[in-house]
Amino acid sequence: MINIFDGAMGTMLHQAGLKPGQCPESWNIEQQQKIVAIHRQYVQAGATIIETNTFGANRIKLAHYGLAEKTAALNAAGVAAARQAAGSYAKVAGSVGPTGKFIAPLGELTFDEAYNAFFEQIQSLDNARVDYIIIETIIDIQEMRAALLAGKAATSKPIICQLSFDADGRTVTGTDPRTAAITLEALGASVIGANCSLGPAELLAVVETMAQSCNLPISVQPNAGMPELVNGQTIFPMQADEMATWIPKLTAAGATFIGGCCGTTPLHIKTIRQVVDSLPKESQRSQHSFTALTSRTRSVFLGPRYCPVIIGERINPTGRKSLAKDIKEGSFISVKKEALAQIQAGAGILDVNMGVPGIDQAIIMKQAIDELSLLVDVPLAIDTTDPAALEAGLKAYPGRALINSVTAEKARLDSFLPLAKKYGAAVLCLPLSDSGIPLTAIERIKVAKEIVAIAKEHGLNHYDLLLDALVMTIATDGRAAAETLQTLKLYREQLGCPAVMGLSNVSFGLPRRDLINAAFCTMALSAGLDAPILNPFDPLMQDMWSAATAISGHDNQAVLYSKKYVTMPTKPIDATTNTPDILTQIRQSVINGETTGVAPLIRQALAENINPLIITEQALTAAMNEIGQAFGQGRCYLPQVLLSAETMRLAFNTIKEVLPAHTVQSLGTVLLATVKGDIHDLGKNIVAALLENNGFSVIDLGKDVPPETIVTAAQKHRPDIVGLCALMTTTLPQVDITINFLKAAGFTGNTIVGGAVLTESYAQQAGADAYAANGVTAVNIAKQLLSNAKELR
Amino acid sequence: MPLYHPRLETIDTDETRRYAGLSGEVDFAPALLNEACTLAQLLAIPKGVWQTYVYDQDAHTILSPTPFILTADSIIKHLSGAYEIAVMAVTIGLSLEQEVSNLFSKNQYTLGLLLDAAGTTAVEATCDAVSSVIAGQAARAGLTVGRRFSPGYSGWPIDVQPEILALATGAAIELSVTDTKMLVPRKSVTAVIGLYPYSQALGLPHQQALACDNCGQPACQARKEPTRQ
Repeated sequence: MINIFDGAMGTMLHQAGLKPGQCPESWNIEQQQKIVAIHRQYVQAGATIIETNTFGANRIKLAHYGLAEKTAALNAAGVAAARQAAGSYAKVAGSVGPTGKFIAPLGELTFDEAYNAFFEQIQSLDNARVDYIIIETIIDIQEMRAALLAGKAATSKPIICQLSFDADGRTVTGTDPRTAAITLEALGASVIGANCSLGPAELLAVVETMAQSCNLPISVQPNAGMPELVNGQTIFPMQADEMATWIPKLTAAGATFIGGCCGTTPLHIKTIRQVVDSLPKESQRSQHSFTALTSRTRSVFLGPRYCPVIIGERINPTGRKSLAKDIKEGSFISVKKEALAQIQAGAGILDVNMGVPGIDQAIIMKQAIDELSLLVDVPLAIDTTDPAALEAGLKAYPGRALINSVTAEKARLDSFLPLAKKYGAAVLCLPLSDSGIPLTAIERIKVAKEIVAIAKEHGLNHYDLLLDALVMTIATDGRAAAETLQTLKLYREQLGCPAVMGLSNVSFGLPRRDLINAAFCTMALSAGLDAPILNPFDPLMQDMWSAATAISGHDNQAVLYSKKYVTMPTKPIDATTNTPDILTQIRQSVINGETTGVAPLIRQALAENINPLIITEQALTAAMNEIGQAFGQGRCYLPQVLLSAETMRLAFNTIKEVLPAHTVQSLGTVLLATVKGDIHDLGKNIVAALLENNGFSVIDLGKDVPPETIVTAAQKHRPDIVGLCALMTTTLPQVDITINFLKAAGFTGNTIVGGAVLTESYAQQAGADAYAANGVTAVNIAKQLLSNAKELR
Repeated sequence: MPLYHPRLETIDTDETRRYAGLSGEVDFAPALLNEACTLAQLLAIPKGVWQTYVYDQDAHTILSPTPFILTADSIIKHLSGAYEIAVMAVTIGLSLEQEVSNLFSKNQYTLGLLLDAAGTTAVEATCDAVSSVIAGQAARAGLTVGRRFSPGYSGWPIDVQPEILALATGAAIELSVTDTKMLVPRKSVTAVIGLYPYSQALGLPHQQALACDNCGQPACQARKEPTRQ
């Protein structure tokens, strides 16, 4: 059966006389008969479900109108109006719209504040006896999660969850329809769908994807096309007849709840009803069965039909002092670094363990999940034995997480399984019982079956569960790995849930653990492992993974494997070409910015008794001159110049290291500063770096430096040159002022000025001796000015 | 919905190369570039805030509680046809710029320069994310958004920075302005976005104009388009 919603309420209210800036929900009490009349038009048009005029009737939105305290009354009155119109012809859905604020960490509203506002509204709607709750026009999955969780707590009525998608097929905060469907089905939605923002043409693909990603009924309420504003009025251009042509396509795609959003009218609904009545009976949708985890923006599928997924194990402070220290101090930089690096190394899911002694794990877990969900797009596994930390993590996570893990121990089952059901998480089941570790595969599957049965009693289903085969070291029990592999086989044959397990225990106490781990991983994959928990940085494991993925057919035609391992034919060595001499090699190394290659070359040159002055003159300085020229001619760019400067510095340091007595004559002293009021220092820092590496002594006074400070420093250090930098038009006058101060104080050296908005002519009028457009020019000018000064002497 | 901390799941390396002054063809230190982009992702704390106001285009006035009259021709021309405007402020916080200075002091100049460029990419991405929310909200009222226009660019004097920051309620994201009109933290942007009726937006020639073409700094390394002859 196709259920038909009503159409827009907002436009109808304005037509009925609601003034801009007036609270629409206030009419539920003040103008209730007008609301009833609008509902009645939709009922007469053929709607089978009408939505209450309570879209903005949550405490946070109503506070804008000073009506927060009337939340319950406005919702109750909204239901009463709808019920009066619906009679026995239509059901009533209590409309719940967004709070208008983003939930932290994306915004300022806490999850609990949002939850409480939704709970209050939905409870009011439930008390007033709605037939459904419809949470709609939500642009952020986390806000939908808060509303749905509140809804599940406040009512036993079916809850329809509709998100709004942008033209790119994602919500504003990045969730795609597949990920939304998986997340919300697991979280307990009754119907899922989309409304607003887009017209039926754009929402067709959203409906198709959602229908293929879950087994829930799908709802859709498109706008009457994309809006236009004409003479100050918002106009939705799609007429009822045109909209109706999309209905067969939307139902064929899987929608069984259809209505209209912005711009739709009773005529649109009447026409939709006519089309729906003429449709043949819809065919049964095929059922989808898979186990998936989601992040805010991505879904990851697990099981024999899918490529195995690496679960990165590195976000775990056990045995890692510095990570533990950072977590304890509330710094998540190390955690975030581990996360990004593991994903780069191939992890598709990240395990998150915050088990640091002496911390409030619940608080820290929430922070870690907040930070990671902002940073990465792979799903997370929450790894804890603390129910409070688990709940804090699950609540904060804007997706479907994996719980790592439950055992058959009663206390764990009683505390973890309800949380998994409540928050729509998948559960990793470890076949450990109150009586200890089962040693054989037969014993393990027996315990696993017990856990599965209990999990189902808690309302979880087959696709919520993953199984761990238990890995013990072969160093103390030669049968340990064989039993694990046999357990994997039995899991696949008898239970069919995806298998997940940490690998590294197998090699505990043995040398070359990487070898054992990698070999075990390939055997386990073959036996039915779907997602190993491992260290993705292990090079041998990385190689094995690429090979195993190709062999198992998940890397079609071994394309990725080939891309990774194919070696390009090396250029044949021309026997007639002699290796260049060592000075040329050093020069080339500096030009190429080979920061790791220059030191051995310097050592070699010194070992060959080449004078360091000759190395400096003929290789290092020559290289910097060459790259400076290339920069001037536009043949290379600033980062390359800086990398050469770094390489040159390393070369000098190596000379110093080998010959501590060696000293280099400074070309001269340059005092540098960014002028008063200017807080930019990147350009000045670049000039300082290049001057230093070209043999100048640099005194850097920093940024926002008053002229008096510059004069004092010039008198103290007696530099050959003062370099001044100003980036903004507002700070240019400080260049003039500083130069005047220097002249008045009797400074006889040269001044060079530069900065983004500074020009040659400005430099002249300010009385500077030279203008440098960039760091390389500044070095050349500095050399020129000092050479001129020397000639004059 | 005026406060938004967008996610930065990646920092675009191509954009970062461009802001670092590297031409498209140069194959420069990809590992260092990746390191800088990853570091930026770790250090950036993207935040945005905005307010929308009705715009009186005849009087060139933003109808905020204390109306603000625009006087520069470039911004007046840019906003012609706008029905409302959004005034936004974004920042990625102080940590990244502190690390740039730190890297220079450790003689890691190249990484410092690339991190600074990656920070610019992050700020731009934050602006795009905030603009996208503004665009989504505007679309529901039948409006479409124009290009961002910031004080200090294309002939709009930087002197209006304090007023624009106040209109955007930038203090809500710990953004301030110096006496010399610079934003603190430095990796921050204020901008005005015109919200135009569809019929206007489709026909306005200035909407097609490229921002870099309007800028008075043709030698800028980060130009998105070739200098207009």
